[in-house]
Amino acid sequence: MSTVKKYMMRTLVSVCEDDILEDVIKVMYKSEMSVLPVVDSENKFLGTIYSKNILKNIIPEKFGFLDSKQLLYEINHAAENLSDIKGRKVSEYMSTKTMAVSEEDKMYKIADIMLDNKESILFVVNERGNLRGYISRADILYYLLAVAKEEETD
Amino acid sequence: MITTVTLNPAIDREYFVSANIPKEHRFIYDEQDIRVYPGGKGLLTAIDLKNLGYPDVQNIGFVGGKQGLFFEKMVQEYKITTNYVYTDNEIRNNVFIIGKDPVTYTHYNDYTYKVDREDVEELVKRFRRGIVDSDFIIISGSIPEGVDFNIYQRLIEICNELGKEVYLQASGEALNLALSEKPKVVVPYFKHTRKILDEKVVEFADYVRMGRKLLERGAQYVILPYHCDRLLFAGDRVYSLSPVDFCLKNWLGTGDAYNAGFFDYVYRNGFDFVEANRYAGAAALNIAEHKTIFLNNRKEIEDNLGRIIIKELEV
Repeated sequence: MSTVKKYMMRTLVSVCEDDILEDVIKVMYKSEMSVLPVVDSENKFLGTIYSKNILKNIIPEKFGFLDSKQLLYEINHAAENLSDIKGRKVSEYMSTKTMAVSEEDKMYKIADIMLDNKESILFVVNERGNLRGYISRADILYYLLAVAKEEETD
Repeated sequence: MITTVTLNPAIDREYFVSANIPKEHRFIYDEQDIRVYPGGKGLLTAIDLKNLGYPDVQNIGFVGGKQGLFFEKMVQEYKITTNYVYTDNEIRNNVFIIGKDPVTYTHYNDYTYKVDREDVEELVKRFRRGIVDSDFIIISGSIPEGVDFNIYQRLIEICNELGKEVYLQASGEALNLALSEKPKVVVPYFKHTRKILDEKVVEFADYVRMGRKLLERGAQYVILPYHCDRLLFAGDRVYSLSPVDFCLKNWLGTGDAYNAGFFDYVYRNGFDFVEANRYAGAAALNIAEHKTIFLNNRKEIEDNLGRIIIKELEV
């Protein structure tokens, strides 16, 4: 039975609770990740910080509901809001409710968790709770593709 | 976990052409004539250790730009855990053009990579929390522009605070400064400058003198490359390590295999400096006599053990 270990991305890109939002945004941009794990000084997983949570805090309404004339005003407004909060700490904006999965967890279990939580990424920890990487929806789909292929062969 | 540090990694691109002639336009149609792989001291050692069966091997360092993300993907293929600080500037690309007839080897070594001061501070933070559950730390290779020469000194200081032992392969001022933190094992890298601690090394006596000087300056043990041999320094004792019936086919990856072999021995048997070097020498010999750049298994190392001769020298 396939485990997370086989499909996960092994990366320790992370931020700490006392990092500031400006740095988090830069890491998100450069790593092309819209959600980052938050860890303590010993690399223990504490939660996650989402780009959408930062956006929610700086944009009063979703862009989709704005007319084009208002859009420019709202973007400027958002930039001003971001300027106000960019020095704030991750701890104020992180989510501690996100669950992590284990390297040894079975892949079918991960599929269930992802569907239940609507998470696009789940962070992976070892037996001591230290961050080890993440597994994404694409990894789940790739796993399911392999399962389907096996069934076809059988 | 085992941690390797590579501050100045590169994408290595090898192009095999029928003949490398200046001003001539060449076409490459066969994909086997182009090889692209992640390079950098420390990283190759990490891949070797992974191939030897270590489940958790981490590589810490900088990568830059979109090519840095590509580099990371290549490293991930080896199931190495990456812990990279992403920088604005693009990662280095080293280009090797190998002509087949006549045999030529043209190498363009890219030293344009630069990192910002804030990236360095982020790396130090990431290093501190990244090595918490590491048993061994290997720090090796050059440092990119923008990084101060005391970087290895800072990293080893953290290792000492956390009780981690360090194997350091470095050169120039970065090595000079790092010695004050008393790394466990030091391997000076001086192929380009022929200098150790700012002094020229030419004759055998120079090597012995500088090996001892590295010990005086803080290294606990020293491994000094001496042509195809190694000189080993442990306290007052000096040993030579030589391969027997040695047939060189390939240099690339030999030093990294040596480091991996050393680690592998120490991890499984405890710290026996001489015997760890014998095993390391056997690992390097395997790479030197084959075209591959990575170790595959322990058997190929063990098969070479009898061909590594270590003698204590009276110097």
